[in-house]
Amino acid sequence: MSRSSLSSSLNEIRTAGKYQRSRLRMGILFSLPAIFILLAVLAYPIISSFILSFQDVRLAAGGIVTEFIGLENYAKIFQDAAFRNAFNNSIYFTVIEVVAVTILSLGLALILNHPLGRPAIYRVVLLIPWALAPVANAVLWKWIYNANYGVLNAIVVGLGLSETPIVWLGSPFLALNMILIADVWKAIPFITLLLLAGLQNIPRRLYKAALMDGATSWQQFMHVTLPGLRTTLIISIVLQSIWALKVFDLVFVLTKGGPADGTVLLNFLSWRVTFNYLNIGYGAAIANVLFLLMFLLALAYIRALRPRSSSNK
Amino acid sequence: MKKNLSKVILQIFLISFIFLALGPILWAIVTSFLPLSSLTAKPIDLDPTKFSLRNYFEVLDTSRGLLSGLINSMIIATFTASVALVVGSAAAYALARLSLPGSNFILLAILATQMFPGIVIAIPLFIVMSRLGMIDTHFGLMFVYLSFVLPIVIWILKGFFENIPIQLEKAAAIDGATNSQTFRFIILPISLPPLFATGVFAFIESWNEFFFAIILTRINVKTAPIAISEFAGQYRTLYGQMLASAVLASLPVVILAIVFRKFILEGFVEGAVKT
Repeated sequence: MSRSSLSSSLNEIRTAGKYQRSRLRMGILFSLPAIFILLAVLAYPIISSFILSFQDVRLAAGGIVTEFIGLENYAKIFQDAAFRNAFNNSIYFTVIEVVAVTILSLGLALILNHPLGRPAIYRVVLLIPWALAPVANAVLWKWIYNANYGVLNAIVVGLGLSETPIVWLGSPFLALNMILIADVWKAIPFITLLLLAGLQNIPRRLYKAALMDGATSWQQFMHVTLPGLRTTLIISIVLQSIWALKVFDLVFVLTKGGPADGTVLLNFLSWRVTFNYLNIGYGAAIANVLFLLMFLLALAYIRALRPRSSSNK
Repeated sequence: MKKNLSKVILQIFLISFIFLALGPILWAIVTSFLPLSSLTAKPIDLDPTKFSLRNYFEVLDTSRGLLSGLINSMIIATFTASVALVVGSAAAYALARLSLPGSNFILLAILATQMFPGIVIAIPLFIVMSRLGMIDTHFGLMFVYLSFVLPIVIWILKGFFENIPIQLEKAAAIDGATNSQTFRFIILPISLPPLFATGVFAFIESWNEFFFAIILTRINVKTAPIAISEFAGQYRTLYGQMLASAVLASLPVVILAIVFRKFILEGFVEGAVKT
């Protein structure tokens, strides 16, 4: 625009400049409220939490007393058995969650992409568990898992799989896995919808070409479907990992971290240390370690998005 | 023959999918109508003559906190969604069309904010909000919720605004419309579907949020999810009431998701894949 106006009259340059300036002014004006909110509620606390993690923070006489203690909170993390336990639980939970959700959602998306699975009713069925509040989901499973009156024990005992009712949330590792199942159930719909949208973006002609080359359905899946879904799969895996690391509601309602801290995940530990034990500085240090894990995942997400968006433009 | 067999297998998968997706929810709904004596009978007593709305009336009693929780959640979610749409659509338009310097950086930063674990923000926010007296206020919670729904609203609307033909705006400018008139009278009216989609999404997210609600509220502004968690804890053995409260608190968001399914499926899911 500026190059062409070089040869035109001064007047035109002025109006064009004025137009550009007024658009810029409006752009700043329009984006300011959003930027202000994001800075106040996200940027400030993120920086502040980083600073808090180097402090000993105590509640005294209604006020908050802080003292700079350097890396002590972080040093404590490495010696803290509760942290190690929560870290291991979170890694186990996240890895199994992501693998299970990805495989099951991919299978479901393939089925729903088949002509028999096209009716809109199946999409509605997916939206219902997605919209459900995570706390309501936790209550649902609390009732299903109930050792005395839950339907899961009725099924298991009824089918003769176990003679006596099983206390699903009664032993540490079993309880962790039961929370995992409830979380996988809630996460599948959204990832399936993402993958379905991704499947619909794969050009039909690729399948026709594969068919003409005599590819079996397995070969079509390996050489057309999977490569076509690559970006969508990466996005869903990264989003799912971040969400799995954030799980809180299920732990809070189903087990409160028990039995024997078997279901304490990093997010829950940080909350408990901060708001139950009031060890605010140490809680912030744990939160920052969790943040670091998620930040690495976020980088992966942005990298996964980059090649695609540059090829679009 | 082989084709028919695979069709049968596929049908079986589809039926079991519906069963697995809706079964747990239907079970909760059915049992929420039963009295405690039926729920604790062995085996569970599903006698339809015992179905009643008693659990629902009991949880809605004003002394139980669910009714005020539903009202609080309604206020907070409605307000959050409305403000997010106004502030977010303006910012999205600025980023998509108004040649803002550093807009790519701003967009990436907005996306990155999605990746923060809530606890990182929650601790300093709790400290600041206690000093400002914003703990346990509607405004405090809405302000926090705005910060998580805004990035998504901006990201999706920006993608939509970019696809609106620029000629439309040029024509308006030639006819003498100012930039803000173009935005209000041309851009916004043709963007209703994604505005609905993001608005519904913002409402659902704010309605369902639990983690910040439990940290930033005390007594006055308990939201619906907090009320449910209390039925699941404090009244631990009143299973029917626990389920009735979960059903009641889920109804508004599930109905919204079903009514606006078209917008959500097209606007939100595809937007997330195409960005």
